[in-house]
Amino acid sequence: MSMILVQEIIHQIYFVMAAVIALLLLTRLFRRRSRPGLAYDIVYAYAIVPFLLRALHIK
Amino acid sequence: MSTSVERQRAGGAGGGGSRRLALRRLALLIAIAAIVVAGTREIGELRAYRESVVASEALTRQVPLSTYFDGIRDTLMDAPVYVFDSGVPGGSVLILAGTHPYEPASPTMAYVVMENIKVSRGRVFVIPRASMSASSLGMLGNAYPAFFRVRTPWGAKTYRIGDRETNPLDQWPDPFTFVHYPSRQNLAYQDSRNLNRAFPGRPDGNLTERTAFAITEMIRREKIDLTVDVHEASLGYPVVSTYVCHQRAEEMCMMAAMILSAEQFPMKTETSPKTLRGLTHREIGDFTDSFAVLMESPEPFIDKFVGPMTEDLMVTGRDEFEQTAADRGLLYTDYSIKTGASIDYRVARHLGGAAEIVKQMGEFYPAKRVDASWPTFAEVMQHGVGYFLHDPSKADRRRVFFN
Repeated sequence: MSMILVQEIIHQIYFVMAAVIALLLLTRLFRRRSRPGLAYDIVYAYAIVPFLLRALHIK
Repeated sequence: MSTSVERQRAGGAGGGGSRRLALRRLALLIAIAAIVVAGTREIGELRAYRESVVASEALTRQVPLSTYFDGIRDTLMDAPVYVFDSGVPGGSVLILAGTHPYEPASPTMAYVVMENIKVSRGRVFVIPRASMSASSLGMLGNAYPAFFRVRTPWGAKTYRIGDRETNPLDQWPDPFTFVHYPSRQNLAYQDSRNLNRAFPGRPDGNLTERTAFAITEMIRREKIDLTVDVHEASLGYPVVSTYVCHQRAEEMCMMAAMILSAEQFPMKTETSPKTLRGLTHREIGDFTDSFAVLMESPEPFIDKFVGPMTEDLMVTGRDEFEQTAADRGLLYTDYSIKTGASIDYRVARHLGGAAEIVKQMGEFYPAKRVDASWPTFAEVMQHGVGYFLHDPSKADRRRVFFN
């Protein structure tokens, strides 16, 4: 049973990591000094999607 | 590094410029969020959708798979097991379906069995959705529909088309290499979520391995004599339209394949390779007393060279590229675009294939005989699958279940 518990903890840590990365990208979308062009805005906004989907348990 | 020109283009100087920049980014985020919400609506529906089944009057009990191993309780892998017990001593059969949900003739065949079965000797166990989690997502990169519908006399009945592997929402992350237990054979990383690479399973393994262990435990405890694992294969795969049998079951399979090929539809047989680990036809045969047989029907939908992967392709199995492959002799089974490989044909094949192997077990081992009947190949080819599915709104509520 301890192995199952360890697996579950790792499983949840990965969701937390996804949420942290989503938050990081969100911060970088709004608060960054370099590369302010529209193309970078689109890349940042787009890159958030998979992390957001995983963190919200959608996909 | 951005230039001052870029900075000026992005927002200009001063507070007005940065406000415009923030607004633009916010608008972008909202637009992306709207796309995500719209795009993931179907993903959410697929995970939440429950298929109805009206069990036949032969049903004696329904139990969760966790009855046999508690380690999968409260997970999506805790699939329901339906038991049809005649009360007359005889053999026992397990129909294991939905191991790979993107092969939907398998669970559909199980539902047709469950809705119409009559048992007069022995016991029949049915697991229609062995990998419930895998049925709750679509395959990454394959733009195919989430659902398909079967026409019935009372309307359309909707079923999920899932993935091959356990949903990452239920089991994640994948290892770099999946090491199969207990053989230690190295398999691809994504096979750690492939139920048919996880047998016989282990009690402290990942969720997929624990599910395999629960099924193996059920086979041991219920003394299942014959396990029939129902699959579909691409037509470019050598074992399509085939029984793959553990060596203890090969004589039964050969006889069943000969009779089917002579009387109903082409069926090949192949003995399970001893070095191919984790599959039911190998591990169930090695680690339990059950005869292990896997059946494959021809499913154009999962061939890599077909046209658009639409609901129509899933239901009719008609595809011009498949025909081209057939014309060039690249397929391992007969194919004609005129008849296709419809869901009716594929389910009918599985019903006929399962009935024949059960019959052969009784011929070879009279003490293990099971007298059970369900719609035949000919009946399903004549009337279609939908004819044998019942309307849950008009059925006895005690016999209606949702998977």
